[in-house]
Amino acid sequence: MQLKNPVKNLFRATAVGVATLLAMPTQAAEEINVVLFSMSYTQGLAKLADDFEAKTGIKANIEVVGQDVFENRITLTFTGKTDDLDVVHTPVIQLQRWVAADWLQPMTKSVEGMDTKDDILAGPLDAYKVNGEQWALPFFAEAGMMAYRKDLLAEAGYETPPATWEEVLEAAAAIKKDGVAGAAMRVAPGQGFNMFVFPMIMRAYGGKFFANYPDDLTPAINSPESLKGLEVYSSLMNDYGPPGIGNFNYNEVAAAMQTGQVAMIFDGTAVAAWTLDPEKSQYADKIDLAPIPTGPEGRSPAIAVHGLGIPAGAPNPELSFQFIEWATSEEVLTKIAINEAFADFTRASVASNEEVIAKYQSIHPKFLDLKVQMLGDAIGHYRPLLPQWPQLGAAIGENINAAINGLMSNEEALAAAEEEMIEILEE
Amino acid sequence: MLLPAVLAVGIFAIIPLIGMFALSLTDFHLIKKWDQDIGFHNFVKLYNNKRFIASVEVMLLLSVFGVFFQVVMGTLIAVGLEKIIPRWRFMRGIFVVPFVVPAVAVALIWLSLLTPTLSPINDFFELFNITVPPFLTTQYGAITAIVIADTWASYPFVMLLILAALQGISSDLDEAAALDGATKIQIFFKITLPLLIPALLMVALFRFIETLKHFPLIYIMTKGGPGRSTQATNYFAYIQTFQNSNVSYGAAIAVFLFLFAAIISFFVARANARINDA
Repeated sequence: MQLKNPVKNLFRATAVGVATLLAMPTQAAEEINVVLFSMSYTQGLAKLADDFEAKTGIKANIEVVGQDVFENRITLTFTGKTDDLDVVHTPVIQLQRWVAADWLQPMTKSVEGMDTKDDILAGPLDAYKVNGEQWALPFFAEAGMMAYRKDLLAEAGYETPPATWEEVLEAAAAIKKDGVAGAAMRVAPGQGFNMFVFPMIMRAYGGKFFANYPDDLTPAINSPESLKGLEVYSSLMNDYGPPGIGNFNYNEVAAAMQTGQVAMIFDGTAVAAWTLDPEKSQYADKIDLAPIPTGPEGRSPAIAVHGLGIPAGAPNPELSFQFIEWATSEEVLTKIAINEAFADFTRASVASNEEVIAKYQSIHPKFLDLKVQMLGDAIGHYRPLLPQWPQLGAAIGENINAAINGLMSNEEALAAAEEEMIEILEE
Repeated sequence: MLLPAVLAVGIFAIIPLIGMFALSLTDFHLIKKWDQDIGFHNFVKLYNNKRFIASVEVMLLLSVFGVFFQVVMGTLIAVGLEKIIPRWRFMRGIFVVPFVVPAVAVALIWLSLLTPTLSPINDFFELFNITVPPFLTTQYGAITAIVIADTWASYPFVMLLILAALQGISSDLDEAAALDGATKIQIFFKITLPLLIPALLMVALFRFIETLKHFPLIYIMTKGGPGRSTQATNYFAYIQTFQNSNVSYGAAIAVFLFLFAAIISFFVARANARINDA
């Protein structure tokens, strides 16, 4: 197959050449190119681009795109080695994969030299450490949270929200009636969809992905504990969920709560923004927040962390870090927390800012405390931090979704998930 | 004169195609950093991959049913507007509307319409105590939902091409048949339809090739679910390339899709040539 290499090289050279030509106009000396995907923080940051220019004289081109577009764009940019990006949105769930693929450059020394490093929440900051190096700075840390309808639970005889998943099942059964479902969660297949929420129940019942993460990565999802968790999830969704739940993603979960079609939802801290804003939610005054329920093995709220990293090909890493330090600073995080619905900031000083406290207390008096409690209860490897996780999570999520939709039994789904995990890890 | 066109096709079509084929003969993987020549091994792996075979079945179901309904609906509306009730020709503009809606918006519209808690259709039937079954949570329901969304968005393309083809059929034939006592239905089946066959074949071919690519509908409406029931072949290629980092395997699937489309095009073109010769 020697003849083929010149062709391959010609193709690669052409691809890189075209990409370089396309990238050239954006490489002015005093400009910085940032690509982010759409979240309240990133939208808020894009509005503050002029502040960065006023402070540093460097023009920040902040491009905010949809998450699906972002992933394709980044993969093509990184593999094409176009080197046209200075800062990139780095979800912690992709970190191991990107580091393994040499797509990022470390910023360990720059972070160690920061005066305000200790103000950054330790959990989210440490989540970006791989192989002893720091690969990004966090701007967002979200933990699991429950939102519920006080009136519907009271009608069913519950003065306080259910504290365990067993109680959630009982309450959902008592509440369910025509037009109102007991509970809703994401069920759509995907590591960022049903696999964001299902491990909350699985782990509460003692289920785990591996025999002993990270020392022993023998797949161990096919266990009686995981099965119990899946049975609870399946029953909650199929017996007491709204019609069509088998395809629900977060938008549908939010809409069901906003329109009064469900009594309890379990998702990230975003549940507060979805349900407590009277402009979005018809029943905002009847909704309250609560911790994620526990199981026999305790509580395991979902956790998601997002940060800003420096692509491997970024031409001026010092400039990139200067932007990241500014974008994750107390000043900027505070501004965005005040300007947008953004309470998932990652600096302790922002949480103690009076204006920020006043804003979020006016929305819900215990929201910030609850968020801190859930972040404290969450484990960093809620979704295992492995380069293969996107593939593993998708395979597990697809089998779990098939079980919820009756295409296979719960037992078959866990057996298939474990078998596929073994295949993926052996590849 | 031809040089710019030849250059454009060369740079934007032929070189990437050769590159994709070259890539499919390697084991290039983003994370594992493999980059060895492995001949046709990826294609052998595909042949033995049950998920790939299942994805081809899903793709064929979506394409065959999608194209069938689009062609039937587009043709009926075109013939209706042109031949049966010509005074409604002004409606063409309205019938074309779905065609200009971007695919992402089409997917979001139909996702809302087919999600029971969001859908006005469900609300309407609830008034009569009729429960509409959820489409997107069963295997064939989800495939049907994608076919419906694709048909809605794409029948105008068929309608426009058939309207153009109808302009080319002389009205003398219809009038002569009518004088001989043929009904409108007889005229349609015995005269109009046979004359439309070359156009129908071409429009079906265009649509068939297009349906091999419908990614946004699957990504937004079902995420490939329930389970993996709507993971059509191009969605499977996306998973391999972007999620599993297995770029060369994704390239092999893309080569398969290209060859599949090329073979179908060849047979349709040959059939068309025979009809024209006859």
